[in-house]
Amino acid sequence: MLGRNSIASIAYVVTLLTTISSAQAFDGSVYPDLKGQWTRATPETSFDPSKPPGRGQQAPLTPEYQAIFEANLREREAGVPPTWPGRTCLPPGMPATMTAYEPMEIIVLPRATFIRIDYIRETRRRIFTDGRTWPREVETGFDGYSIGKWIDTDGDGKFDVLEAETRNFSGPRAFDLSGIPLHEDNQTVIKERLYLDKSDKNLLHNEMTVIDNALTRPWTVTKSYRRSAQAQPEWPEYLCVERSETMRIGNEIYLVNKDGYLMPAKKGQKAPSLQYFPTAQR
Amino acid sequence: MPHRALIATVALAAALTLPFAAAQAFDESKYPDWSGAWRRIAVPGVTGQPGYDQTKRLGRAQQAPLTPEATAIMEASMADQAKGGQGNYPTYTCLSPGMPRIMTPYGMMEMLITPDTIHVLLEHVHDSRRIYTDGRDWPTNVTPTLQGYSIGKWLDTDGDGRYDTLEVETRNMRGPRAFDASGMPLHKDNKTIVKERIRLDPTNPNVMLNELTTIDSSLTRPWTVTKRYGRDPKEELVWTEENCAEGNGHVEIRGQGYFLSAEGDLMPSRKGQEPPDLRFFEAAR
Repeated sequence: MLGRNSIASIAYVVTLLTTISSAQAFDGSVYPDLKGQWTRATPETSFDPSKPPGRGQQAPLTPEYQAIFEANLREREAGVPPTWPGRTCLPPGMPATMTAYEPMEIIVLPRATFIRIDYIRETRRRIFTDGRTWPREVETGFDGYSIGKWIDTDGDGKFDVLEAETRNFSGPRAFDLSGIPLHEDNQTVIKERLYLDKSDKNLLHNEMTVIDNALTRPWTVTKSYRRSAQAQPEWPEYLCVERSETMRIGNEIYLVNKDGYLMPAKKGQKAPSLQYFPTAQR
Repeated sequence: MPHRALIATVALAAALTLPFAAAQAFDESKYPDWSGAWRRIAVPGVTGQPGYDQTKRLGRAQQAPLTPEATAIMEASMADQAKGGQGNYPTYTCLSPGMPRIMTPYGMMEMLITPDTIHVLLEHVHDSRRIYTDGRDWPTNVTPTLQGYSIGKWLDTDGDGRYDTLEVETRNMRGPRAFDASGMPLHKDNKTIVKERIRLDPTNPNVMLNELTTIDSSLTRPWTVTKRYGRDPKEELVWTEENCAEGNGHVEIRGQGYFLSAEGDLMPSRKGQEPPDLRFFEAAR
């Protein structure tokens, strides 16, 4: 049995080691284990996975943006490629990024949590958790600028929730493939709460609230992701240019058929201008 | 002078603590500090688009040990580019340059060190990598990618108890790939093997060195170059988001590259180029 002095010594050494370790080591044990490959838990790619796509999403759009959405739906029903940045190989941007159209990896480091999703663009969200405030100088982007905070909600000495807020966007962006629009002013603010399911550590939830001028009120949905059981999962490479069946020339979107020919995307669409080709003028 | 019992207690506490720490904590102090944003260092007097060997100009000046067949491809590529074409330069359509060219690098680079993987985040077309350092073997069934599959190993070359060098080998690549914008080709058999030794410059911790050796059927021997990257000194970094498709002034239709004018109209990329076949449009028939 250890004497009183020895116990005190252990306490001292542990204190020393703790201090050293907080200065020099990243104590992964205080963070949830988010390692591995995550794929969305439901096959649907709608923004709210709990509701049917399109009008079934019941997005709280303003009348102006509801009209834009209805026009997008009509075009889509007429066979026109969806109003979606991806049709011209632009990334979906936030919040659609977090639908996880392709597998997702989450890398937790002390200064930031990184989210990698290889879909159209190689998304690498940086959620800064170093206590910074919103920067004065920042470039806008489709994925915005994210600041996060780890929270220990149950007081067990271990973080269990990552709260993130994202601003500073560029566009165009849509909520999902049906073309539910975000406002063109790009003043979107997105709040997220990411946490593992209490009864299933291979299930991750993301409560997302979107505040946007296309909406009459904040829109909150919960997305979920399932962890792959594979120890060494393969990370697929998604190169939009190799998969795209559409092409933008000027302000027009055209279809590209399997033989590579340009085709009209809608009835009566004019061919692209060939005014710069002398041989086409003859 | 410490009491003998205290020494024993310290030893016990350390013994108790270390396995726990090894299991649950990632000791960053064992790894080099590669944090921040890294950019390629421009070499004075070497102008124009960056060549694969950044100490030499693009094209013939690279003195790459190319086979006669690969030399002919590069010459044809440069001749086409001189006429306004793209030559053997697949990246213009927003394809990733692939390995080894992505390590030039063209945009900002960040290295995330975790116990089992180094994430190399490259802000360019589509260039980011994973380098696995978990001791795995080469997978037997993996789809080839432009970046390939990379396995790395940390080395403590000076025996100071801290890793200083990352050795990496990359295989499983696909094409099309070129060493640089001249169109200097890698072989279409895609049997490339790239070996890297990445470390900080012993004389300047804000300079990173990457000694890259490429073994490829387009080369007569392994080709080794050393790339140098500088750490961005800014305290608050501004990470840019590059989207190749945004504002790309090139399109490719049935294998032919065309320019887009400022108004978005198709333009020939070379003198005398025929317009694309628009047979599926009413007015074009």
